[in-house]
Amino acid sequence: MNLLGHPDLVDQLAAAHALGTLRGGARRRFESLSRENPGIRSRALLWQETFAAFTEIQPAMLPNPQVWQRIENLLPQARKPAVEPTSAVATGAAEMLQNLRRALSLWRGLAMGGALAAVVAAVVGIRLDQQLGQRGSELAQAKQEGAQLTAQMAAQARIEYVAVLQDDKQAGSVLVTFDPAKRALTLKRVGDYQMDADKSLELWALPPGQAPRSLGLMGQGAVARLTAAEGEVAPSPMLAITLEPKGGAPTGGGPTGPIVFKGALLKTEI
Amino acid sequence: MNLMLRIAAQDTASAGALKELYDLTSGRMFGLALRVTGNREWAEDALQEAYLNIWRIAGDYRAGLSPPMAWMGVIVRSRSLDFLRRRNSERADAGVELDDYLQDTIAGDADDPLDMADASQQATALRQCLSRLENKQREVVSLSYLRDLSHSELAEQLKLPLGTVKTWIRRGLTQLRECMERFAS
Repeated sequence: MNLLGHPDLVDQLAAAHALGTLRGGARRRFESLSRENPGIRSRALLWQETFAAFTEIQPAMLPNPQVWQRIENLLPQARKPAVEPTSAVATGAAEMLQNLRRALSLWRGLAMGGALAAVVAAVVGIRLDQQLGQRGSELAQAKQEGAQLTAQMAAQARIEYVAVLQDDKQAGSVLVTFDPAKRALTLKRVGDYQMDADKSLELWALPPGQAPRSLGLMGQGAVARLTAAEGEVAPSPMLAITLEPKGGAPTGGGPTGPIVFKGALLKTEI
Repeated sequence: MNLMLRIAAQDTASAGALKELYDLTSGRMFGLALRVTGNREWAEDALQEAYLNIWRIAGDYRAGLSPPMAWMGVIVRSRSLDFLRRRNSERADAGVELDDYLQDTIAGDADDPLDMADASQQATALRQCLSRLENKQREVVSLSYLRDLSHSELAEQLKLPLGTVKTWIRRGLTQLRECMERFAS
């Protein structure tokens, strides 16, 4: 059955998944669908966030006063840089909650941007493009290392960066996704921004307290693919696109033309 | 909550800040640990480890992303589950009847208004929606999440038929979804 045509069923599965009662093959199938489909993924994230609140609403009980005494006694030796393995679990869980909130605030931000349908369509488009491009190399890899490894890789959390760069009239936008593992920076133009043939659009990272750093040029086409290292992209909370002479701003210097699109860079970890 | 920053600062005032945080939150966090482990001694051990954990990683806390109670709750539940799994063979309350849980939680709820200032919106909504479920449905849904239990593990622990657990969870989730929908917009 095509889940996408049944939003109620998607929601039901997302809730059972977040509660933890969806198990075995059904759980794996749902997780693989949610990795592929942003709509399903956003439902899954929303329910995970909802149920995380179970930990906040339990009735209070009074612990034995000795518990604080024990904590206080252990404080001097507790703050060592090396964290023992047992506490790594809790640390990881807390990090997961924060990452979950980050991902959700991205979804909510997109929804508030107004152009949700266009944005989701474009993001799905980019993902499909990426998947098609990946297929060839994945096949070769599967032959080399066996299908099991491929499945493991697919099951791993993916970190990516997303930015929706908008012009000040909100007429057009550029969607940027960055996959640090593949060093792949993808730009996709949505809307009808027109520019002269003797100009180029140039993408800049705006690291705090430093000069803008050029990430490359966007041609006349709707999609551009650039290569960048994580260190060139990730430290910048903002990205911007300027209108430059054909071929871009002089190497080594900063941007010379006006900013056409800009927006926040968000890290998603799903 | 500036307390987290003061704890993370690692200066002479940090221990005092942790004590303040403990006084404000340990009751609720102990309630959570007790619900997960079902055993006072383990809950106190989990609580101790959780606050030592918070002491170490308070600098990772981001106020913009989650309210402090939600962040701490995740840590306490995780430590409590560690204890539960480590000592599952010697569970003190294995096979406790559901009615015993219900008596505890209902009595605890009555004189314990949730401090909404520190709670997330999700907590407010979830609490209201849960209160509309039948007691037994609320209990199996809560325990399923808090203890990370499957249908069959729940049935075993609560001495209930598997079919009953499945039905209660399914109905409980359906009602929760309808109710949460109204909060979502």
